[in-house]
Amino acid sequence: MTILETTSPRSERRASTRQIWLLTVLLSLLLLSALSLRFGLRPISWDNIWESFVAYDATRADHLVIQGMRLPRLLAAWLAGAALAASGALIQSLTRNPLADPGLLGINGGASLGVILCIFLLGISDPASFVWVAMGGGLASTVLVFFLGGAGRGTPLRLILAGAALSALFLALGRSLLLISQRSLDVYRFWVLGGLDGIEMPTLAALLPFFALGAAFAAVSSFNLNAMMLGEDTARSLGLRVGLARGLAVCAIVCLCGATVSMAGPIAFVGLIVPHMARHFSGADMRWCLLFSAFLGAGLMILADLIGRLPVFGGNMQAGVMAALLGGPALVWLIRRNGSTAL
Amino acid sequence: MSWSLRLPFLSLSFSARAVAVGSCLLLLVTVGSVLALRLGSYPFTETSWLSVLLGAGSEIERMILMDHRLPRILTALGAGACFGLSGAMFQTMMRNPLASPDVIGFNAGASCGALIAIILTGGNVLLGALIGALLTAILVVSLAWKEGLPPQRLVLIGLGIGFALAALSDLLLSRTDARTAADMAEWLIGTLNARDWQDVWLVWSGLLLLAPALFWIHFPLARLGLSDDLTSSLGLRLSPLRLGLTGLGILLAALAVCTAGPLPFVAFAAGPIARALVPNGKPALLGAAVIGALLVLAADTASRMVPSIQLPAGVFTALIGGPVMIWLLMVQFRKGKL
Repeated sequence: MTILETTSPRSERRASTRQIWLLTVLLSLLLLSALSLRFGLRPISWDNIWESFVAYDATRADHLVIQGMRLPRLLAAWLAGAALAASGALIQSLTRNPLADPGLLGINGGASLGVILCIFLLGISDPASFVWVAMGGGLASTVLVFFLGGAGRGTPLRLILAGAALSALFLALGRSLLLISQRSLDVYRFWVLGGLDGIEMPTLAALLPFFALGAAFAAVSSFNLNAMMLGEDTARSLGLRVGLARGLAVCAIVCLCGATVSMAGPIAFVGLIVPHMARHFSGADMRWCLLFSAFLGAGLMILADLIGRLPVFGGNMQAGVMAALLGGPALVWLIRRNGSTAL
Repeated sequence: MSWSLRLPFLSLSFSARAVAVGSCLLLLVTVGSVLALRLGSYPFTETSWLSVLLGAGSEIERMILMDHRLPRILTALGAGACFGLSGAMFQTMMRNPLASPDVIGFNAGASCGALIAIILTGGNVLLGALIGALLTAILVVSLAWKEGLPPQRLVLIGLGIGFALAALSDLLLSRTDARTAADMAEWLIGTLNARDWQDVWLVWSGLLLLAPALFWIHFPLARLGLSDDLTSSLGLRLSPLRLGLTGLGILLAALAVCTAGPLPFVAFAAGPIARALVPNGKPALLGAAVIGALLVLAADTASRMVPSIQLPAGVFTALIGGPVMIWLLMVQFRKGKL
């Protein structure tokens, strides 16, 4: 089936239009980024934005808003959207299941449980220290899911069932702890709703290595996953070590999503839906699919953040919620227009 | 080992394992229900609950048993069975273990309808949830329809609509005052607090009405796990079958969500657990129904047993179902079945 697709005239045409699409997506991404710096509760003129970059003046409120609030927020939206969408594409290809999302590996459940346990047992309520706790929780639960799911040797079904059961368990454990302790709820509520608010440059800088490492792993994985799409046996006969390739893809997802969840809390929608949108532009090739997923994910997050900041929504609507509200109908429209692309 | 039942119009085969597992599960349901009747903030002794049920006992005892615990338990059983059935049906039809109704958006429609009903009328939650679920279902099916009902399309469109509706619920929740929000939050996790006989009638009469259709559809459903070409060469007409299955599944999910709220994890876990207990390759609808009922009953009883705070049952479904599922998976892994 894959071989047929690559030789059909339709996908040849697609290959040439793919670059144009990528360029369009990139340009709109830049435009959105500029708009996201410009608008908000306090509109700032283009001149001031430019000046804040070339001649930063800490005494001017506009410059402070741009450099201290909007720029970190924009970068966080970029990173979160791109990381979530790319790891969504990875896990959907890894499990060969269009309904898989990165949370399936237990990262979100583990991170939430980690944060809640940290508040509940240690009484810590400083959001800055949650970054590492969330990271650790996500990492630990992913290791658990990966080994219960067969450590790269089992079938995708095994990984899916193990992941779904464990992450549901972690989320339920966290939730029941919250219901028992009002104090934990008060702190946790802000973490989980935090979204992209109040992210500062030092946090971003600390998490940047993880994003970079994850991106590198993902880039390598995209070649492996392309081979694995032909079927496990074919991939093996092509000389690929399937268990290792799976492990590498899981590492990529952990780095990307662990960093995202510890930065912006669990965001459900982007990782699940954006890869489906990306496949309409990229076709089946994982390398293109990852690129498109990353850019579309970043674009969706920035747009959602921008719209969520409108006064209509009280000036502060969660970007994750907004992304679902915008992205859901967009996905339906894409599928109705182009038909669904199989994995 | 297996036995077969042969009638002029019907023949069924039972494997020994299925019969054994089935009777154990039914025994568990009975014991569980009796325990759930007896336990609580006003406990009954080994024999007193029976005499109260038969008409003896004081006014208060009768009220506790007949007006509070019994409807609650019956609703839990019915709603759990509906969740289990609809989950197993969708998972088999879509050939995807993740395609339970709570993942592909039908529960989100019901919750959203309930929330809108609370905001607009202050009550009528049941009706709102039912209308919400049915409207969502009609929307999803009509958007996904393209010379038939391709499962992939249905799943993806369901996802998109489901996420948008869940986001809409969040949005509504954030725009209301704190007291209504607390009321509404209950509808986003699922609880069986304060159920009355109206709920019992609704869910059980719905189940009974749908039972013949379920029984009939369970034969072709067992073949839908095969590839499309193979299924149609067996003489099954795929599109009407899929439409019928989707309709049934949605009705069941709507019944469950109306009476118990969108309890997480039940619809997802019941099918795989049932199939792990009776691994014969069939969709195991009956098994999934009983497992679902057991899960919800256990979750609800557990939520009543926690002293001093009323925890919603939705918290406990995954807390109880998760370990069971993980244990079964590990047993299966060790046997090398997965």
